[in-house]
Amino acid sequence: MVQPKKPFKRIVDKLVELKDTSEHMMDLAYSSLLLNSSELAEEVQALEEHVDNLHTEFELLVLSSGFKPEESKDFLGLIRLGVVTETIADAAAQIAEVVLRGIEPHPVLRLVIEEAEETVTRVKVSRNSSLVGKSLRNARLPEETGMWVLSIRRGKKWLRPQPHTVIKCEDVLIASGYSEGEEDLRKLASGETVLPE
Amino acid sequence: MASPEKIEYKPIPVRDLLIEMKDISELMIDLAYSAALFHSRELAEEVLELEKRVDTLAYILNMNAMLAARDAEDAEALAGVSVVATATDKISDAAADIAIIVLREIGVHPIVREAFERVEERLTRTEVKPNSILVGQKLEALKLAAKIGVDIIAIRRKKEWIINPEDDEIIKKGDVLIARGAPMGIQEFKGLAEGKIQKLEG
Repeated sequence: MVQPKKPFKRIVDKLVELKDTSEHMMDLAYSSLLLNSSELAEEVQALEEHVDNLHTEFELLVLSSGFKPEESKDFLGLIRLGVVTETIADAAAQIAEVVLRGIEPHPVLRLVIEEAEETVTRVKVSRNSSLVGKSLRNARLPEETGMWVLSIRRGKKWLRPQPHTVIKCEDVLIASGYSEGEEDLRKLASGETVLPE
Repeated sequence: MASPEKIEYKPIPVRDLLIEMKDISELMIDLAYSAALFHSRELAEEVLELEKRVDTLAYILNMNAMLAARDAEDAEALAGVSVVATATDKISDAAADIAIIVLREIGVHPIVREAFERVEERLTRTEVKPNSILVGQKLEALKLAAKIGVDIIAIRRKKEWIINPEDDEIIKKGDVLIARGAPMGIQEFKGLAEGKIQKLEG
């Protein structure tokens, strides 16, 4: 394997963060629409600002990396990928804006998300749930319930779920997945059912 | 370059159009990154085909939304629908831009690919071995999404690509499956396809 040079590694790390954040925004934007949640929509807007900053840092890193003329194609590829993530972030912000404008979303919009292949649900983790204290990796929610956690609300903060994020009681999990899994997740969060050992 | 075709009005419910646009655009993002990750021109071309489909749907959606508005209140609500559709279309355009990077050989540097592979917990490509328990199974019978949280988004069968396969598609040996899902599920899925895991739990 080619050992990446230091500046290159920093550039790629930034790109990976851009990609992750923009996709996270897309999920959150559709969720905000379904839940008619202006908090979630505001989070998307805040993330949009974050992505704008990240993207600028990313482009500056690329431009100041001192690449050689023969490397320019590879660096063009990087810049283009960066633009793509920015476009996705913009689109997500646009969707969230519809929610923030405060018009009661047209019934058409809400039906859309519900009948799309995936559904979005919000569950609160109760004190006696077996999820408390588990990392998302160990909770294996997608495998157990088919539900994928999009975002975690803890108090006034929205956390971006990572495999090592530990679930706490009172957390609100926003998850998407197939509608069959919704009830399973709700039961796990309430403590009605327990995660298998 | 061929000039774009005229798109004719079809009476399709706005809701159905939006659902299809949302599903296709999300699928396109995953397929486009898969094309970049696995360096597949064919997959990139499929993404461009889907992009045309989303464009057409967006036009038809706007036509239907215009006809659906009877008064100012309707117009207010439907303008929101139209904005969402435009944003969804924009996402599909972004996916197409990734495909173009792959097709024009602009270059996705191997180091970028490695970095994506390292963090990409959602996408995988795997070949179905003859001794895999997936061979001969219908997708709907496997219930991969419900059991391990994995979704097959494309199948390459010899020269042919099957994008977003239907429930009644039967997996054959030698198929190359592109799937998305949770990290643990993805690992299990690879084991199943490679014949290393002989039982699907759940």
